[in-house]
Amino acid sequence: MEDLLLLAQASASTTFIQTLIKALALGSVYIMMGLGFVIIFKGTQVLNFAASALSMAGAMFMSILIADGGIPFLPFDNPLAPGDGETAGIPLWLLTIAITMVLAALFGLVIERLAIRPMIGQPLFAMAVITLGVEIAIRPFNIDATALEGRSLGVPWGAESWSLGDALVPKSYVAAIIMALIAGAIVIVFYRSRFGVAMRAVAFDQEAAMAQGINVARVFQIAWALGVALAALAGIAYGMAPFPPGGSVSQEIHPVLAFRVLPVIVLGGLDSVLGVLFGGFAIALAEVFAGQYLSQYGSTLGPGYSTIVPYVVMLIVLVVRPFGLFGTPEIRRV
Amino acid sequence: MKRMRWLIALVAVFSLFAAACGSDGDSSSDGGGDGGDTTDDTSSSGDDGDDGAMEEGGEVATDFGVDAENKVIRVGVNGDLTGPFAALVNEIVTGQEVYWEVFNENGGYKGWTVEMETLDSGYATDVGIQNYETLAQESEEGVLMITENTGSPITAAIAEDAADDNMLVIPLSWASLWPDPEFGATILEKQATYCVESINGVEWLSTQVDDPKLAILGRPGEYGEDGSAGAKIAAEELGIEIVYDGTGAVAGDDRTGVIAELTGSGANIVWTTLTPGELLDIFGNAVSQGFEATWSGNTPSFSYPVMMPSDFAAEFDKYYFQSAFNAPWGAPGTEVIVEEMTARRPDLNISDGYTVGWIEGIMAETLITAAIDAGDMTRENMVALATSGLEVDFMGLSAPQSWPNDYNDALVRSTWIFDVDAEAFNIIPMGEATPENPGSSGLIPLEQDYIGTVAADYVFDGPCIEPSS
Repeated sequence: MEDLLLLAQASASTTFIQTLIKALALGSVYIMMGLGFVIIFKGTQVLNFAASALSMAGAMFMSILIADGGIPFLPFDNPLAPGDGETAGIPLWLLTIAITMVLAALFGLVIERLAIRPMIGQPLFAMAVITLGVEIAIRPFNIDATALEGRSLGVPWGAESWSLGDALVPKSYVAAIIMALIAGAIVIVFYRSRFGVAMRAVAFDQEAAMAQGINVARVFQIAWALGVALAALAGIAYGMAPFPPGGSVSQEIHPVLAFRVLPVIVLGGLDSVLGVLFGGFAIALAEVFAGQYLSQYGSTLGPGYSTIVPYVVMLIVLVVRPFGLFGTPEIRRV
Repeated sequence: MKRMRWLIALVAVFSLFAAACGSDGDSSSDGGGDGGDTTDDTSSSGDDGDDGAMEEGGEVATDFGVDAENKVIRVGVNGDLTGPFAALVNEIVTGQEVYWEVFNENGGYKGWTVEMETLDSGYATDVGIQNYETLAQESEEGVLMITENTGSPITAAIAEDAADDNMLVIPLSWASLWPDPEFGATILEKQATYCVESINGVEWLSTQVDDPKLAILGRPGEYGEDGSAGAKIAAEELGIEIVYDGTGAVAGDDRTGVIAELTGSGANIVWTTLTPGELLDIFGNAVSQGFEATWSGNTPSFSYPVMMPSDFAAEFDKYYFQSAFNAPWGAPGTEVIVEEMTARRPDLNISDGYTVGWIEGIMAETLITAAIDAGDMTRENMVALATSGLEVDFMGLSAPQSWPNDYNDALVRSTWIFDVDAEAFNIIPMGEATPENPGSSGLIPLEQDYIGTVAADYVFDGPCIEPSS
């Protein structure tokens, strides 16, 4: 009897560890995506509804570079790509991620120049709708690139796990957590830099910032470049097994990633980096732990109940703190 | 910051919208019931001025979807070319396109050729209904029959209108509803149903392990419920314990709960009725948590173009067996398909999907040529021919089939079982294939035309599921 009890406890702790790691990894993906939202919002006051398509496009760039051995939009081979049937080593794979983020940043600059900048001075609502248009415009590229097959991301460790006692810890989950922590640290440092301060000044009052000699157009460019690069990073991280796409870019799964992140930025605050860091982990913990530990009530709670949990949290926060836990409250003159 | 309040509200609204969209419910539209045009005037009109066509001394009566003057027959496809099943459907549609190309280049039949009109539903029921109305219009712009209609929800939504319009529809769906004359009067189920496929699949799985304990995973909607229903029939008939019944439980973007229930169930065989993305997520996470079982599932839970490039290809090889309705690329019986597809689409990759398109073409050609021979190519006569006991021979690609007005007699009870072989997987352009390197989808037939003991004798009261309203 005592042995059975010990076995049950061991099994419970194994499940807890695996659930915790999964939640932290999913939260890390949310954070990377959420940081992309926040940077663009802080710099331009625009909510980027094109984030899903941009994220998936970024993951596609990675797949083209590492698995196809090509270069996105260009008829050249990628000289750094591994040979046919070979898998990239970790250093090369990380270098390819960096190249992908640069390409995604350039893509962000193009979008900013073509779709966003002409809208400067227009109502913010119109600019948000423009980003919806960008989402729709990019989708055909993503669909054409993935419709007929899953696209490998060439993750060097594939679906391998480490053993932690009886618990299996996927290497990709640990990688996602590290990627998010690095991305968060870089963004925090960036906002403390001279340019980051300028970006915050533009977000606060564009005209006053211009009067102080800040180049607002440059701020817009940088915000979009960074935001799209982070979205691409999130798309790559989310593609790693055992995240749902299983090591590939998925037409079925990637397109909804950004929507899953919206509760994160509402919880943390649209303009708060710390809010995203907190919100990403909090939402993912709520979602994954509810999924794991309420599963026996699934027939009562309804299919897919854990997907709803983030939105329930979001609604509660909206009622209590409409600007999110870390967002800047709106000040009104009455 | 002054405008943040509305932005927050906008985000909230969008989030809720996204949650609703992401819930994956197969909500069949209830708007298709009486939305069609009045179609009581589709009777044969062979004596109308320009409706008849002279052919070798015989006149062929026509009404809609036929250009009698130029002897061109229009057939329609209402396919998911950009939605969740696009990977499979695009290849199937291409297979059918080539089928008609070959047919036409060989002179058609008694001078009649076939033209294909393809519309994309994106697997959205409302779009599928609109497409149906476009294809069913009562003019030459309409089509004689729909040679492919993707998905159970869309097929269910148009079934009643199709019956009213005398429109034959070949569904790209194997719901057990279609052989029911009460429901799918003009829906020509091809091959076995999901329900029969599940019965065979679970029986076969149960022979692969000792003391089988079954877990069932199904998405909401006709497809998921039908497959799960068949799995339960097999379990009941064979005395297999169901340790987790996840019928309709696979919904939403987070599947942690289902994975938790599955991995904790003690199952050693798993039957799935999912989309490829859902299977990849659940299978990958379960395997990553050390869960070991023998898996299989309804077509198209497993899609080799999606699974094989993933990082779980080796695990699928080890644990998964694919159930299917017909021969894969390169199997005996597919020689003509391989030859014609390679000659006409050398740049496209080899695919098992072409066979399905070819089968649709064979069905349609059999009916069309019979109608030409009968001198009556009206939609009404097409329906009459289809239900007259006319048998279609698929030349080994799939079991022969006819559509008598009896549920049990109309059922095909055989399916195929494939082994997943990650080493053999080698998708190459058809034009680059050689005898030494023919390419492979990595699916190796283990059982051809497999009929388990349960499926062979089971007497169905009717469909395994109720149509959703």
